[in-house]
Amino acid sequence: MNTYQVSSLLRFDLREAFNSPLWIGYSWIYFLFQFFVYGSIMSTLVITVHDYFFYYGTGLVVLSTFNIASWSGRRFVESAHEGRLRYILSLPIGRDEFFIEQLVLGVIVNLVRTLPPVLIVLFMSGLFSLANFLFTLLVLTLLAIGIMGLMVSLSVIAFKSFDIYSAIVAALSALLIRFSTISYPISSMNEIYAKATLSNPIAYGADLLRRAIGLDTSLLLSPSLSASVLVALAVGTLFLGIFFTGRFVEGVRSS
Amino acid sequence: MTDWLSFAVETYDLTKRYGNFTALDKLNIKVESGQIRVLLGPNGSGKTTFLHLIATVLRPTEGTAKVLGYDIIKQQLKVRQLVSIAFQDPRGFWRHKPRHILSFHASMYGLKEPDKSAIVERTLKEFELWESRDKKFMDLSGGQAKRLEVAKLFVSYPQLALLDEPTAMVDLDGKRLMWDKIKELRERGSTVIVATNEVREAEYLADKITIFASGKDVVTDTLSNLKDSVKGGDIVDLEFAEPTNLFVMETIKSVPGTVGIIEIDPRHLRVSVSRSEDWLPITLKLLQGIKLQSVHITEPSLDDVFMTIVKPSKGAG
Repeated sequence: MNTYQVSSLLRFDLREAFNSPLWIGYSWIYFLFQFFVYGSIMSTLVITVHDYFFYYGTGLVVLSTFNIASWSGRRFVESAHEGRLRYILSLPIGRDEFFIEQLVLGVIVNLVRTLPPVLIVLFMSGLFSLANFLFTLLVLTLLAIGIMGLMVSLSVIAFKSFDIYSAIVAALSALLIRFSTISYPISSMNEIYAKATLSNPIAYGADLLRRAIGLDTSLLLSPSLSASVLVALAVGTLFLGIFFTGRFVEGVRSS
Repeated sequence: MTDWLSFAVETYDLTKRYGNFTALDKLNIKVESGQIRVLLGPNGSGKTTFLHLIATVLRPTEGTAKVLGYDIIKQQLKVRQLVSIAFQDPRGFWRHKPRHILSFHASMYGLKEPDKSAIVERTLKEFELWESRDKKFMDLSGGQAKRLEVAKLFVSYPQLALLDEPTAMVDLDGKRLMWDKIKELRERGSTVIVATNEVREAEYLADKITIFASGKDVVTDTLSNLKDSVKGGDIVDLEFAEPTNLFVMETIKSVPGTVGIIEIDPRHLRVSVSRSEDWLPITLKLLQGIKLQSVHITEPSLDDVFMTIVKPSKGAG
């Protein structure tokens, strides 16, 4: 591993990612608005789930992670079409190292963007502890790696057709969010909906995160199964991403 | 390992296809170490694809190439450690500043402080970018962005420098600066490959020129040999003391290399010849008794060479 080169690339990318602190502040304000205003309204409507306010809050954190991780995948594709990727590909760094740097970048961006929301939810639920905090970060990191790995692997399609890639990512994102426990527990879903949700790794990530804030465990999926699914997702897509980046990613067509 | 290689680049049936479109078709060329090779060709002739393949940005569909002794498929990382490329259209760093871009580039080639900052500062000054060092990339002019792109090569001093249309969008003063800097790369031991469709650039820089057309290399040679290869490309103006006669015309026609004769006026003939340096001594010997007032030779321009070579191949392709 060319540690110096990888860390240089990471610093360069971080400089760009945090170039507009205003947007990060905006995303926090947006979270607060959703959590307090929309969450309060929703919790008065959803009375079958105890503490729905916090159930909704953790769902929002998972949704933010999903969006940020998806952004990392799209950024990879956009960088190819903007001409940035071909420059990076010409530099003395391995394709696998580049992929790992992209994952680390995505994890850092995700943590910075979701840290205040996580702290707010933990403090308000009255369950803040170092162990809970670290556990939450670990779950979000694994989830982010899994989603980013998936999205970057899918980017291979974009090198053939950007339209097909956009359509697939949009459809996949919609399915992964709708058929999950981000908004509602599995116990309140009908049979078909529940079956689809059980095959969605995001659902396991969301429910594992909820254990950190002490929500009613009867609403949540098995912790050991959730942890296994989440680790399998992160490791699986990590290798898939390395394989695809090494084999198929190249600068876009030139004359 | 790479110091004693005769050829910095050797390609073996190097091919790149995008679906049904063949961008580069079984290319076999060699580029001598320590020289400036200019790739000349019209848009879409495969020059950029060739550079991207050599820089390992693209993967060949078939064939391969050796760059400084390393295979571009099996030893990509080794290749990238020795090669650096200035792209045709610098893009993708919109919010970064020139100072950061060059500093990052230097880091990727292993430079560390305090040398890195010193080299970056010197390079920014040499490329007249010092005043703009803290502007965002998106606020640079086209010429400044292009100079920055080329400046990257001067913080890493690669063994093989690839430049894709390095002076497009650059004003005349800037062009001269860039050309001198490119020559400096060669003086410092780099092999340089420049892709361009600007004939004047090729004339100024090239040790050898490869002309591309339709994804193939049509010809590789030195500038003077390429000029000589144009049949009837040299124009010789002969001014006689007295009006010419049939004997003079027939004598000139009989000299090997004569392609055509135009009578400008009774004392002035314009003769199209191949290789005037061979043709003229023979002609003068045969016309020994005839009094000549002046002889003026005009060589073909590289433009003529380019058009002579590219046009028929375009038609054939």
